Amino acid sequence: MACRVVSRVLSCRFASSSSASRLSSVQLQRLRNDLFTREKARQQSLTPRIEKIEVKLVGKTHPGTLFVMNKGLSTPYSCARHLSEWHSKNSVLALVNGEVWDMHCLLTQSCEIQFLTFKDEDPAEVNKAYWRSCAMLMGQVLESSFKEEFSVELLQSPEVTVLSGAFCYDVVLDSHLDSWNPSKENLRALTRAVHSLLHQDLPFEPLEVQPKVALEMFQHNKCKQAQVEEKAAHSPQGTVRVYRCRDFVDLSDGPHIPRTGFCSQFEITAAHSLGPGPWGQVRRFQGLSLPRQLQAFHTIWERIRTRAERLVEVRAPSQAAVSTSVPAERSLPESQL
Amino acid sequence: MRLTLPALIAHGRYGRRMGLGPESRINMLRNILTGLVRHERIETTWARADEVRIYAEKLIGYAKKGDTDEKAMKMASFWLTEKDLVHKLFKVLVPRLGSEQHGYTRVFQIPNRDSLDRAKMAVLELRGNPFPPLVTRQPDSNGTLLNQLLCGYRQEVTRSRAAGGD
Repeated sequence: MACRVVSRVLSCRFASSSSASRLSSVQLQRLRNDLFTREKARQQSLTPRIEKIEVKLVGKTHPGTLFVMNKGLSTPYSCARHLSEWHSKNSVLALVNGEVWDMHCLLTQSCEIQFLTFKDEDPAEVNKAYWRSCAMLMGQVLESSFKEEFSVELLQSPEVTVLSGAFCYDVVLDSHLDSWNPSKENLRALTRAVHSLLHQDLPFEPLEVQPKVALEMFQHNKCKQAQVEEKAAHSPQGTVRVYRCRDFVDLSDGPHIPRTGFCSQFEITAAHSLGPGPWGQVRRFQGLSLPRQLQAFHTIWERIRTRAERLVEVRAPSQAAVSTSVPAERSLPESQL
Repeated sequence: MRLTLPALIAHGRYGRRMGLGPESRINMLRNILTGLVRHERIETTWARADEVRIYAEKLIGYAKKGDTDEKAMKMASFWLTEKDLVHKLFKVLVPRLGSEQHGYTRVFQIPNRDSLDRAKMAVLELRGNPFPPLVTRQPDSNGTLLNQLLCGYRQEVTRSRAAGGD
């Protein structure tokens, strides 16, 4: 028994990517990470000389401030650091010429910049970015938490509104785990794994890549490859955006928060079985999180947490509701979609 | 009295030492309290504002008994050196602040005094004064993440109640 396990582990470790034997998630992660690093280094080498660009700050705080930044090297985060510590710690996204950008995205031309925080008048984009980042963290933990003999295939994190109460990640687990349901202790263990990531305050590194590089990254994940093709078809430049958190690389629809330290309260609340799908037995893992600036008292947290345990149904693309017999009211003035 | 160490240390005694002695302290606080009742927002040292606050709240507490009450009138006429303010206390301040049980005054710390002593200063004001507020607390907009989650929670509660009722 032990020698069989050892031989299986050994064969996995020395298997090449083109062989028929399944690679473990650790190896896949390493592969994607290496490709990401290589692509990032290649893109950085495209700007050998440092050119200066002028970035103007618009908005409520210090309007009219002019930053002289480096083209292809500076990010909105570096502009915020020039301004003050509060700006660098509280800005979640940047509005560059009216477009929503990540804080760590490279600035390539002179533009107008505005910082978005959690407590703005209309933080819809910020909330969406936060939900996306939390889903990605959950996906990262799910991929690395199972033992090597069980395969984990991440499908997608559906675009879910904050009003639905939880962020989700659809996952296909190994066929041996079809009858397994995570207990409260398992979910708690996953939560603790996420908390260790949060405490490390890792940055979310964005990278815009060509579809073929993305396809190479996700070569062992057919669902992700389909998503890459779909995203490349829809995007204006034909590129696809990938994000990296420590060594986990994932596709994404839109911007993320700058660092994992922005989340404070985080819990993976439930795992629902969605039944057999085209990729296998799909499980939807759900979680709830709140940022450092908007922490909830523990009684309030308990209430919204029990709500986050209910299955969140994704009906049409970019629409979701908690599963009840009555459809969600969308005409209320306070709800955002 | 001997200058013993326990006499100098407070040892849990309530009330600060001000001015030249206890009588001077009461006179000083009485003047400040009169100023507060007249102007409704004054600037003094933080220690004096803290002491006057206690007497101001007690005075208004007494005044709530009404001007026919002997004790209330005695207190008001002692503490308010300008006698037209007695009328203001009973006829203006009490109806305005009568609905609350306590907390008729507010103290805000302000930057230290410019003169050599660099004293810790404060603004002492009565609640409901006609001036614009010194500190405004902006509530979070309805679109913030926590408010949206709570909004969704409330919607679900009303939905389940409606479904349960039917």
